[in-house]
Amino acid sequence: MALATTHASRSRATGASLRLSILLFVADPQWLVPSTIAPIVFGLVSFELFRNAGPYFLTYAILGAGMMSMWGQTLYGSGWATGADRQLGTLEPTIQAPTPYLYVVLGRIIWNVVAGLFGGGVVYVVVVLAAGGPPSLPNPLLFVVLFVFVMVTLAAVGVVFAAAFVYSRYAGFIQNIGEFAFYVGTGCMFPVVLLPFWTNPIALLFPPTWALDALRYASIPGYTGFGWGFGWDLLGAVATTAVYASIAGGVFTRVERHVLEVGDLSDY
Amino acid sequence: MSDDLAIEVRNLVRVFESRKGFFFGEKNRTEALKGVELLVGRGTIFGLLGPNGAGKTTLTKILSTLLLPTTGTVRVLGHDVVEEASWLRPRIGLVLGGERGLYNRINARENLRYFADLYGIPPVERDRRITEVLERVDLTWAGDRRVEEYSRGMKQKLHIARGILHRPEILFLDEPTIGLDPKSARETRKLVRSLVVDGVTIFLTTHYMFEAEELCPQVAVLSKGRIVANDTIGGLRQRVGGDRTIEVEAYGFEDRELSLLRGLPGVSHVTGEEFGPRMRLTLRVRTWETTPEQVGLLLPGHPELSVRERRTSLEDVYLDLVEEEAN
Repeated sequence: MALATTHASRSRATGASLRLSILLFVADPQWLVPSTIAPIVFGLVSFELFRNAGPYFLTYAILGAGMMSMWGQTLYGSGWATGADRQLGTLEPTIQAPTPYLYVVLGRIIWNVVAGLFGGGVVYVVVVLAAGGPPSLPNPLLFVVLFVFVMVTLAAVGVVFAAAFVYSRYAGFIQNIGEFAFYVGTGCMFPVVLLPFWTNPIALLFPPTWALDALRYASIPGYTGFGWGFGWDLLGAVATTAVYASIAGGVFTRVERHVLEVGDLSDY
Repeated sequence: MSDDLAIEVRNLVRVFESRKGFFFGEKNRTEALKGVELLVGRGTIFGLLGPNGAGKTTLTKILSTLLLPTTGTVRVLGHDVVEEASWLRPRIGLVLGGERGLYNRINARENLRYFADLYGIPPVERDRRITEVLERVDLTWAGDRRVEEYSRGMKQKLHIARGILHRPEILFLDEPTIGLDPKSARETRKLVRSLVVDGVTIFLTTHYMFEAEELCPQVAVLSKGRIVANDTIGGLRQRVGGDRTIEVEAYGFEDRELSLLRGLPGVSHVTGEEFGPRMRLTLRVRTWETTPEQVGLLLPGHPELSVRERRTSLEDVYLDLVEEEAN
């Protein structure tokens, strides 16, 4: 036989992982529930919850329900996909391939961001239909850009969290305990400033906290949030996202080393 | 390491540590490999035999960079499996087989395409290679079917197709025919032989003796984490007492009779097993001095005595070696 192929192109591996995620999504009808049906329910519930919350209730409803339907998929979708790899026994051949696993996770993250945004879009349509018209946004374009940016910040944390699923088969268990604390703690449902003060420093370690605060600044006139303004929120979001993105490679290298030491890649 | 060597293993030890319970349970320490030494030449089929739990899969995973050794040196194709794993991975094929390890909800072509991309097979070549390997494992007709519709044998073939897709220089096959029907198993063995013709080195683990006998010029026996033999098939037969086996069956034997048989010239050892009311003694005979007739004469008073001679099979050798290690 001919010589073995050269090292895999990392971007191709990410593309392949993205493609696989789409194929698996399409092949499995159960994903219709979190991606379509759940956002419809969240949108209707949120609309009823916020309908007496003042002039910007529609924005609150869209942000609350949108985040509810998007955050889990974006943040943990890739982790669950790795957990599924463990269960299917595909984690071993994937790790054994020449491409670092991080690039496989990136492909999944991209798909989860897209799927999350789709959920957000469904929420928007449902709330607008329920209200009989769109919300009044001071800057609709900025709203959309920041909405996507929030997804990116969730994805940045998601990459690091996905490493936990490679690290241990118990990651799902630990995640189940922590996910709603994370959901509330980063301000997905309502602003973090409403929580006890001691939770704020912890919340600020996560990029979505900053990004969501910035999004509320941009879309709700008179919003005060942490009180330091839109610019600092945006800067904090970019800086913390950069930190997560930059440590992801190192985290995965260490995690891969750990699982090769422990030898439990096929356990689930 | 010589250029002729595909695998060089020196004093390999692998320890697994686990804990009973979730947090503060008792710590278990299992030494799966205990100072393994192994040399495998290039362009051959090397067979690793061993009972369940002997350490075959552990050794295979270490050789294919999926597991780190605790101590010792392991080199594959002249490169260290720990320090040079990224160099090795594109050159190694690994087939762990079984029901798991594939994306069941998508078809075989898509499974192969995904791994082709992870191995960096150029897009212009990818589809041609997928068609080629599907043809090679005789799955062309089912390439567009979801893997969840596949039989066990078809899945095994797909595992092999994935293992050879990137044209590795060395292929690790962990029990490739386990659970397959005889026809599929024979086709798999035929495929393995054809790969060697193409210049691929094959490292095959199995506990089917006939399979090793049919495929492997050289075999090693791994028992309880140790290599207890590493030789050619003929060499292994000699090692445990020659080419002859005499089997004696009757309704039980006395200790005195066993001692008599053990004392026959050229008999290296005698093992016994019961099946139903009868007992079978197996004599490994090193020379031609002892014949079945002599054995029969030594055992009068057994009206339904059966004595027959047969060629020592690799299975006999293997069982002797494993038994020796156990004792």
